[in-house]
Amino acid sequence: MTDFLHVDGLTMRFGGLTAVDSLSFTVDHGAIHGLIGPNGAGKTTTFNAISGFYKPTAGKILLRGEEISGLKMHDVARRGVVRTFQHSTLFAELSVLENALVGTHMAFRPNIFAAIAGWDREDRHGARARAREALEFFGLDALMHERAGDLAHGHQRALGMAVAFAAHPDVILLDEPFTGMNPEETRAMMELMRKLRDSGVTILIVEHDMHAIMGLCDKITCMSFGKLLAEGGPEDIRNHPDVIEAYLGGARHVA
Amino acid sequence: MIELLAQTGLNALYAASYISLVAVGLVLIFGVMGVINFAHGELFMVGAYTVVALYADLQMPFLVAITFGLIFVGLLGLVMERSMFRPLRDNPLGGLVASIGFLMILQALASIGFGVRMEHIPPVTQEVIVFSEKVRLPLPRLFVMVAAVVLLGALWYFLRRTRFGWALRASAQDPEAAALQGISINQTARIAMFIGAGLAGVAGALTAPLVSVNPHMGHSVIVTAFIVIIVGGVGSLEGAVLASVVYAFVHTVVTTFWDGVIADIVGLSLMLLVLIVKPTGLFGTAERA
Amino acid sequence: MLKALFWIALAAALIALPHALSFSQQEILVFLTINVLLVASYRLLTLTGEWSLAHVVIMGVGAYASAFYTKEFGVFVPVSMLLGAVTAALVAMVLSYPLFRMKGFYFLIGSFAAGEIIRLLWKRFRDPFGGPKGLKGIEPMPDFSIGIYDFDFFEPVSYYYFAATVVAVCLWLMWRIERSPVGLTFHAVHWQDKLAQAAGVNVQAYRTLAFVIASGFAGLAGALMAHYIGTINPNSFDVEVMVFVLTWAIVGGTATFYGPILGCVVLTILNEIVLREMGFEQMRPLIYGAILILSILFLPNGLESLVERALKPFRRTPASGTPAGDAPPASPASDTP
Repeated sequence: MTDFLHVDGLTMRFGGLTAVDSLSFTVDHGAIHGLIGPNGAGKTTTFNAISGFYKPTAGKILLRGEEISGLKMHDVARRGVVRTFQHSTLFAELSVLENALVGTHMAFRPNIFAAIAGWDREDRHGARARAREALEFFGLDALMHERAGDLAHGHQRALGMAVAFAAHPDVILLDEPFTGMNPEETRAMMELMRKLRDSGVTILIVEHDMHAIMGLCDKITCMSFGKLLAEGGPEDIRNHPDVIEAYLGGARHVA
Repeated sequence: MIELLAQTGLNALYAASYISLVAVGLVLIFGVMGVINFAHGELFMVGAYTVVALYADLQMPFLVAITFGLIFVGLLGLVMERSMFRPLRDNPLGGLVASIGFLMILQALASIGFGVRMEHIPPVTQEVIVFSEKVRLPLPRLFVMVAAVVLLGALWYFLRRTRFGWALRASAQDPEAAALQGISINQTARIAMFIGAGLAGVAGALTAPLVSVNPHMGHSVIVTAFIVIIVGGVGSLEGAVLASVVYAFVHTVVTTFWDGVIADIVGLSLMLLVLIVKPTGLFGTAERA
Repeated sequence: MLKALFWIALAAALIALPHALSFSQQEILVFLTINVLLVASYRLLTLTGEWSLAHVVIMGVGAYASAFYTKEFGVFVPVSMLLGAVTAALVAMVLSYPLFRMKGFYFLIGSFAAGEIIRLLWKRFRDPFGGPKGLKGIEPMPDFSIGIYDFDFFEPVSYYYFAATVVAVCLWLMWRIERSPVGLTFHAVHWQDKLAQAAGVNVQAYRTLAFVIASGFAGLAGALMAHYIGTINPNSFDVEVMVFVLTWAIVGGTATFYGPILGCVVLTILNEIVLREMGFEQMRPLIYGAILILSILFLPNGLESLVERALKPFRRTPASGTPAGDAPPASPASDTP
């Protein structure tokens, strides 16, 4: 059986700087997979390479054995890998429902001629239904007509995931989803992620804060200075001497 | 053939000298304030009209007229800075649109004040340096070339060797860091605007006796300046000068062997090509100024 | 119910309008009608966030093409107008390949250069574009009768009815497009192109789509103009006209569908009724320039923002699909390299 999402020897160089150095790891289907590491470990770069934001300098990214590296971001999304963004990147000026509707773009591809003639009624209904479903999933249906930019911080994060979820992804890539959240919001967000996994979506989380995702992930990959440092379940990672060293060492450098 | 080439080269150098004055001013303004000044061609036009008014109509000495052109247009630049670019600082495209409005006002004022006819300005001197039968350089053209070299040299000295110049370059590179260093953004903007506009004005004043002065002459000037700053790399003063020379040669050669409109098309196509292939310009880096 | 009444009243007013005007005012009304199409199509173009300076030249492409097809191939004028629109759309399609590699300033200046190149080609090539003097004696619309009304196209009233019908249909089409999922995607591309991409939107394709459709409508506006005036030349489509379009759009505001149309109508009335009557015709560019500066300084959201504020108490839900409160020229500004 081929691996579900496989990063194979990924290397990213910017000028003289090697941000990621022949990194390999595998994300299992239906898992919540954490990608952690101290600041500057190259995890965000890895994340951007998987989502199609960057083209790898070398190496491959395979989804069900098919190469997706080097594709444009929208093509990667069309293969079923949908990302979210750090902070609250949303269509702030549009309503919550409209945000989710943009997420349904792939499932209900707009057609301009059908739109003018009014032949796309069924598609529009389908898109609305899917958008509502995604909003309900994340508990946002009551806020449907609010302007996205006016939502509370936690709701904005949830909406970011709802937009991705509306796209029927096989894999959702989450970029530091817990940054700036209080414990209450963090707990709610973790609950949503488990629910998301249980609905059959594979999740890859990039996170700087190791503790936040210990209790959440099925498997964790730890990076340091662009290289794979350790891999395993939360317990293995928590007690791994190299990981402790990297985090303490990294913390010393940052401080 | 060699004589033709020599003459073409002289014509190109003359064109390069006033184009680079205009382009360098445009780049300076963009570098410090982040605004593309669409009215820059009209500032050139106003400079030309100061010569019409002071030299041709009021019979003042030519040198007085061009000095006045520099100062008057520089002051006009200060007016633009204070009334439009400063309030629109957070909205660079807004500044650009406002400068388009300013362009129309200047054009209309010139038409109302002087009429739309072409102004004929008596030549400063009829003298011509004759290199050979077919290679000649009218003295007024030489004057423009010398003036351009002197002015650009002075600008270079100002930017590299004086405190104000240092402040200007600092705030062009990183406005926030410059502000932290105690450099006033308003002050550097004023200096850049005065110099940038003044250079356009003096270029217009210098060339006024050699071209047909009319209210719409700014259009081809701004088109040329855009080509030059894009080819040279937006934000690079040295690139702007180099690109002026390159463009002037290409344009003059194409004009000599085909015609002027084709030369304009070639110039614009060159700019589009640079925008597509290397948007940072042939000589520039991606940095501002 | 109220809505239907509003549209019926508006239609009746627009039908009655020319009969209350003098001959020269009727002619202005024809231009105004065509300009409404031009500025509305410009807004469609700006929906994805890029501001072009080639729009008026693209309008000219429609004008030249339509004039050319009637002259060379004897194409029936209304058909030729449509072909002109298609030609403008195709030229825009070709231009979009180089232009959409650029953003912000670069797009603006690149579109300016592309427009100038086209204008210079008209100027340079006497055959088939007629050189600096342009094309003359362009085939007028053939007269026809629809039973209740005889169209005589030497009468501005007739041409007004014809043009207004065409423009109304075009506006309806643009409205349908904007209110459709396609329009929503345009907005999405404008506000967060990265997020749109992550949702699987081919951003480049949608930018091109908006540009091409808008150019088609602009080309149709150009063709309507050409067959009415009967003569066009490169200067009919120069930067000054582009500045008028920009001014209409900015004074009216581009966040709503009606904003640019409002700007166009208000400024035309101001210009033609006030300035012409007062003998200030020569000052037109001056006043347009001043209005452009003043509105970007003091009314950055345009006249529409005043209307929206006035209508707010009467609206039950916030108008969706047309996000308000946008100062458009500000948004692509962050693309300075």
